[in-house]
Amino acid sequence: MSDTLLEVENLRTVFHTEKETIRAVDGVSFDVERGETVGLVGESGSGKSVTARSVLGLVDEPGVIEEGSIEFCGDELVGGNWDEHRGDIAIVFQDPMNSLNPVYTVGNQIKEALRIHQGLRGQAATDAAIELLEDVGIPDAARRVTEYPHQFSGGMRQRAVIAIALACDPDLLVCDEPTTALDVTIQAQILELLDELQREEDLGVLFITHDMGVIEETTDRVNVMYAGEFVESAPVDELFDDPKHPYTKGLLASIPGRTAGDERLPTIEGEVPTSTSEPSECRFAPRCPHAFDACESVHPERIAVGDPDADHETACLLYDDEFEESPPEDGVVADGGETA
Amino acid sequence: MSVTTSRVADALTDGRTALWALVGLLLFLLEAGAFLNFVVGLTIDGILALPGVDAAGFLTTVESAVREIPTLLSRETIPNEGYYDGSGYEGTFLGLSPAIAWALRATLVYLYAFAAFGWGVWGYRIYRRNYRAADWTPRDDVFDRFRGHKWGIFGLVIVFMFVTMAVFAPALGPTTVDQNMRNSYGYETKYWDSDSGSVETILVGDANLDSLSQGNDQNIGPWTYDDYGRFHPFGTMQDGSDLFTFLVVGSRISLVIGVLSVALSASIAATLALTSAYYKGRVDLSMVLISDAVMAMPQLLLLIMLTTVLRETWINEVYSGGFLLALIFAFTGWTYMWRSIRGPALQISEREWIDAARSFGQTPITIMRKHMLPYVTGYLLIYGSMTLGGAIISIAGLSYLGLGVAPPTPEWGRAVNLGQDYVRTGSWHISLIPGILITLVVTGFNALGDGIRDAIDPQSDSAGGETAGAGGGA
Repeated sequence: MSDTLLEVENLRTVFHTEKETIRAVDGVSFDVERGETVGLVGESGSGKSVTARSVLGLVDEPGVIEEGSIEFCGDELVGGNWDEHRGDIAIVFQDPMNSLNPVYTVGNQIKEALRIHQGLRGQAATDAAIELLEDVGIPDAARRVTEYPHQFSGGMRQRAVIAIALACDPDLLVCDEPTTALDVTIQAQILELLDELQREEDLGVLFITHDMGVIEETTDRVNVMYAGEFVESAPVDELFDDPKHPYTKGLLASIPGRTAGDERLPTIEGEVPTSTSEPSECRFAPRCPHAFDACESVHPERIAVGDPDADHETACLLYDDEFEESPPEDGVVADGGETA
Repeated sequence: MSVTTSRVADALTDGRTALWALVGLLLFLLEAGAFLNFVVGLTIDGILALPGVDAAGFLTTVESAVREIPTLLSRETIPNEGYYDGSGYEGTFLGLSPAIAWALRATLVYLYAFAAFGWGVWGYRIYRRNYRAADWTPRDDVFDRFRGHKWGIFGLVIVFMFVTMAVFAPALGPTTVDQNMRNSYGYETKYWDSDSGSVETILVGDANLDSLSQGNDQNIGPWTYDDYGRFHPFGTMQDGSDLFTFLVVGSRISLVIGVLSVALSASIAATLALTSAYYKGRVDLSMVLISDAVMAMPQLLLLIMLTTVLRETWINEVYSGGFLLALIFAFTGWTYMWRSIRGPALQISEREWIDAARSFGQTPITIMRKHMLPYVTGYLLIYGSMTLGGAIISIAGLSYLGLGVAPPTPEWGRAVNLGQDYVRTGSWHISLIPGILITLVVTGFNALGDGIRDAIDPQSDSAGGETAGAGGGA
C-alpha cells in the first residue's frame, strides 16, 4: 500500500502579534504516505513544531492557518474539520515529563483516550491499557498501569506517551522531537520501538527533530526547514550523500565526527531570523557563506537538483541557471566575501 | 465489587483502623441526636413545602421523638440557666454555679470539635500509610509543608474555632436569641431575691431592662452576673441582652454570607479563568474587558445602592437580607479572584498534556475540568480564604453603617455600632469585644491563606516559614 495519508499544500501559519505578523510556517508542502517516515529537520525557531501543530489543528490564537491546505485521507482539514479525524493523527511530544498529567495515573490517561476512541470503559479499558503498555515494552504492565507518572523513568514515560497515542488507533503519528529529552541509550530504544510499531501498524510518521543523526537513522525522506520554509527536500540517502543547499551542508558539517581532521566543529554563525513579510530575498543569505548579490533581492524557488530519479529539490540560487554563480566544490569551505 | 468488600473487611480486622472507626462511631453517637434532629427537620421542611401533602400531625410526632434523643452538647444536657435558692443552685448542671456550668459546656463543645478534627486527620494518615495505592503524591508535600507553617496553623486554629462557634452557636450561648432578644417577654426567669429571702419570677424582658450596659452608672461587664443571677461571659449589650449570645449567633450569618459569596465568586472566577486560558486570544481579551468594567464600579457604593434599592423586594427577605448581600459580593468580587487565577490557568494551558488531550479529541469542557482545574484549585483556596476575611469585614462594615443584614438578626458589625456611644465609658466591652473578634477572624483567614499558599508553592514563601523555597521568592 502506498496511498497518501497526509498531503500538505503551501501551508502558511502566521501569528498575529501587536507589532507584526510572524510567518512561522511560510508555504511548505509535503506528503506522508502510509508506512513512510518523513523527517522535518531544522534549528530551533525554524517552524518545525508549528508545522506539526498545524497538522493536528492545535494552533492557538493568536496563531492562525492563513493559507494552504492540509488533506488527510483526501479530506480537507483546514477550516476546523479536525474533529472528524481526531485520533487518526496522534502526537508524541518532546518532553514526556510535560505530556503526562502528574495528577492522574498512567492507566487513567491511557483509558481516557481509549474511552473516546474505542468506547471502552471499566475493566475492559484497564485490560486494553495494560495490553498497550505491554506493546510499548513496559514490563510488569499490570502493576505499572496504576502508577503515577513520577514513578516512571524518562524512557518509560515516553513509552507511556506513545501508548496513549496508540490508544487512539492512529494512521499517522506525529513525533515532535520525541527523543530530545532522553539520554542516548534510551533514545535508541525509543527509536527502535517507533520503528517496530510503524512496521506493525503500517503507520505514516512525521518525524521532527533537530538531530541529523536521528534523521539519518529513522526517516525515508527529509525536509530541511529554515525560517518557515523548506530549503531542501530529498530522500534520506541522497540528502546525506549529496546535500545541495548551503544550510543543509552546514547542518551536516556540524554533526560531530562527520568532518574528520578538523579541530573545531564547524558551526553556522548567527541565528534563525523571524520572518514577518512576503520574502523578497533568500532568508538564509545573511548567514550563507556563498551568498552573492542576487541573494539579497531574489527569493529562490524550489528547483530539482541532483539525481533526476531521486526527487531532490532545493531552494537556492546557486543552482538556478539564471544566475552565474556556480555551486562551490564540495569540501572547499568558501569565503562569502569573494562573490561578484 | 468483591474487591471493595474485602478491603473493608481487611480494614476492620486491622486493629488501628478498627480503633479509628470505633472512635468515629463514638464521636458520632455523642452528637447523633443533634444530627438526626437536623436531618429530620430538613426533611420535614422539604415535605411540608410539597403541595398536597398533609401529614403535619405525624411529622410533628416524629420531630418531637427525635428531639428527645439525648445529645451530649445540647443546652438541656448541661444546663447553665438556674437560680440560687438560698442554699445552692437549682436547675444548673450538678448544682454548679451558672458560670462554671456554662464554661464547662463551652469547653466540651470545643473539645468535641477539636476531637472530631483530630479524628479526621488521624483517618487521613491511616489511609495514607496503609490504604492508598501510591506511596507518595505531590499533595503529601503540601500537607507536610503546611504542618510546619506556624502562621498558617495559627490561622487554621482561629478559623476552625470560628467555624465551631457558628456550627454550635445555639449550644454555646448562655441563653438563646429567642428567649433573650426576639421574644424576651414570652419567657420568665427565676431569681433569688435577697431582700425578701425567697425565689421570685420575672419576665426576661423586664430583667433585661435592669441589666443594661450604658456607661458607668449602669453596667454589666464581661464575666459577671446581673441582678437576676444570670451569667454574662461578655457582659450585656446596651439594651440588656446577652452580648455573648448575640456574637455566637452573629458568627453564623457572617460565615454563611462569607462562604456563600466566596463560593459563588470562586466558581464564576474559575469558570471564566479556565475558559479564557483555554481559548486565549479574543475570548480572553473580552473577559479582561468585562472584568475591568466590573472592577471600575465602586464596590461600596454599589453595595449601598443595591441594598437600598432592593430593600423592599422578596430577595431581601431571604435570610434577613444575607442572601442578597452574598449575591452582591459575589458579582462584584469575582473579578479580583479571576485576575489572580487567570495567570496560573494560562500557565497550565501551555502544558503539553493539554495539547495531548486535544489531539486525541477530548472535549474542551472535560479538558478544563480534568486537566486544568486541579491546578488552579490551590489558588482558589488561597484567594478564597483571603477573600472570606474581606467579606466578613465588609459585612460587618455594612451593618455598622446600618445597611446589610436587617435587625434584629444578630451581626457583629451592628454590635460595634450599638456600643460606639459607650466606648469611653465602663461599657467599653460592647464595641471592643466584637471588634477584636472581627480582627482576629479576618487575620485568621488571611494567615490560613498565607499558609496554604506557602504550602502549595514553597517558592513564594514570604513569611519566612520553616520551609524556605529554593530562592527567588520575593
